[in-house]
Amino acid sequence: MSFLLSVTAAIALAAADPPIKPADRYEIPYRLTDTKHVLVRTKLNGKGPYNFILDTGAPAVFVPKKLAKEIGLKLDSKGWGEFESFEIEGGLKVEKATTRVEDLFQLEGMNGLGLAGVELHGVIGYNVLAKFRITYDFTADKLAWIPLEFDPPPVRAIGGGGQGGLELLGPMMKILAGFMGIKPNFDAKPRGFLGFETDERKDGVFVKAVLADGPAAKAGLKPGDKLTAVGVAPSGSKKKPSMLDIDRPRDLAKAFAEAKAGDEAKIEILRGDKAETVLVPFGKGL
Amino acid sequence: MRTATLALAAFVLSSVPALAQAPPQKAEAKAVAVPFTLLPSRHMLLEVKINDKGPYKLIFDTGAPMNLLTPRLAKSSGMMKNAKSGGFSLFGGMNQIDIDKLEVGGVVAEKLPSVVMDHPTVKAISDAFEEDFGIIDGIVGFPFFGRYATTVDYQKKELTLKPTDYKPGDYMQDLTKNLLASGDRKNDPKVIGSAGLWGVTFEKETGDAEAGVTVKEVFAKSPAEAAGLKAGDRIVLIDGRWADTIADAYIAASLVKPGREAAIEVKRDGKIVKVKLTPVKGY
Repeated sequence: MSFLLSVTAAIALAAADPPIKPADRYEIPYRLTDTKHVLVRTKLNGKGPYNFILDTGAPAVFVPKKLAKEIGLKLDSKGWGEFESFEIEGGLKVEKATTRVEDLFQLEGMNGLGLAGVELHGVIGYNVLAKFRITYDFTADKLAWIPLEFDPPPVRAIGGGGQGGLELLGPMMKILAGFMGIKPNFDAKPRGFLGFETDERKDGVFVKAVLADGPAAKAGLKPGDKLTAVGVAPSGSKKKPSMLDIDRPRDLAKAFAEAKAGDEAKIEILRGDKAETVLVPFGKGL
Repeated sequence: MRTATLALAAFVLSSVPALAQAPPQKAEAKAVAVPFTLLPSRHMLLEVKINDKGPYKLIFDTGAPMNLLTPRLAKSSGMMKNAKSGGFSLFGGMNQIDIDKLEVGGVVAEKLPSVVMDHPTVKAISDAFEEDFGIIDGIVGFPFFGRYATTVDYQKKELTLKPTDYKPGDYMQDLTKNLLASGDRKNDPKVIGSAGLWGVTFEKETGDAEAGVTVKEVFAKSPAEAAGLKAGDRIVLIDGRWADTIADAYIAASLVKPGREAAIEVKRDGKIVKVKLTPVKGY
């Protein structure tokens, strides 16, 4: 679904911005959400980080009421506020950034279903985007933001109110989430750590080195070992782990993808021409 | 309840048929500048030809995971023959099509997934400005601009498009997969793995609200040791990303491929120290 937003209320205009003395170019880290939205992180009034979508379909920054309260945003009578500080990950501070405070059904709906894979807190639209020349290149892991000597003209509201019935979609998606037993969990947990370097060769994946005192070294994995199959037993599980044959490097990545500290890796190796099994408990680290 | 759940899930599946993947871009990596009109509502309006018909006026929207055409446009450009089967739809009154050919200022994209529906916000904007700008007939979103290095310059009112190898995929397809998966998935937190081996452990006490995470241990002969990281260092930035929680640090590390040098910013004895770390392949 699209974020396309319009401002339907009259607008109080912020005073003209003073010229900022900017860097020539900012490298702004971004992620693409599962819903194909361009996500950047912000710290607002020193709090955060919060996840924001870059949206040329929105005339301004939008934050929901709850977040506005959390960061102590003061609002005027028209539902606009000015951040004391608005920082975008990548070292960019936007001076005197203003925002609409409004609950967006798009965010509610997507967060209710966990569709984006991360919690979305707000939207950055024209009033901030227009101050920069921004390049979106999805083969790069950063966006290029070049400050413009440009004071974006203010937004004009259009008539009418609401989103023509679309605003019902948010609650509807929440209900759907309930029906489908979806309760999104936006937490992230680090993968467990083994402490060995791999050597990817045509004839398979080998151990190149083990970190001294790391879990792999303690369990007896050695340089030169060829990894033939691996499995992961979750912590406390009595079941035998299902083993995955290792033909290519990506097999290994797949096998370890969900492993957490405390789980145990069962690694079948060839040492010379002798087949052996090494059990390595995942530790913490990377 | 369980049956209802499954039935609903099945409905979503059957209503969202698989679309063909976009073919790879022809490698002609030339940047093309395309002018746009800025509406008083501050939306970007592009002149677009669809199947050599038009020009039509569409809103350029980086917040749109899909393209959207009004039924009016879909009909007049002869697109409705591409309509996929209808049936139950999450959004109601919506058809999915592939646009055969979409042209913006000489830049041509083929086989673009799109939905056909009357979008109330598009209609409201169109109605408000029709007198001065003409009818607005939809949205150009990610399936289009994801194929290019797209630069938006509001000062010049110019969009620059340079083809890349990136394939935007199909949002509707992903959405279905996502919905189905989330119905089955246990409600566990997502596991974030580093893309490479660093040889370091982090710690952060609960209640520690300061920026950054603390280095607990640096392994001998590891990339972290080679970079000069030391136990007690407070890492604040990894590759330009905030590392305020352990999970954040892992997310940043998940984006540094082995062999690529990442800048790390560290607080050590009250001073900011910058180091470079190049992860190797490993776990």
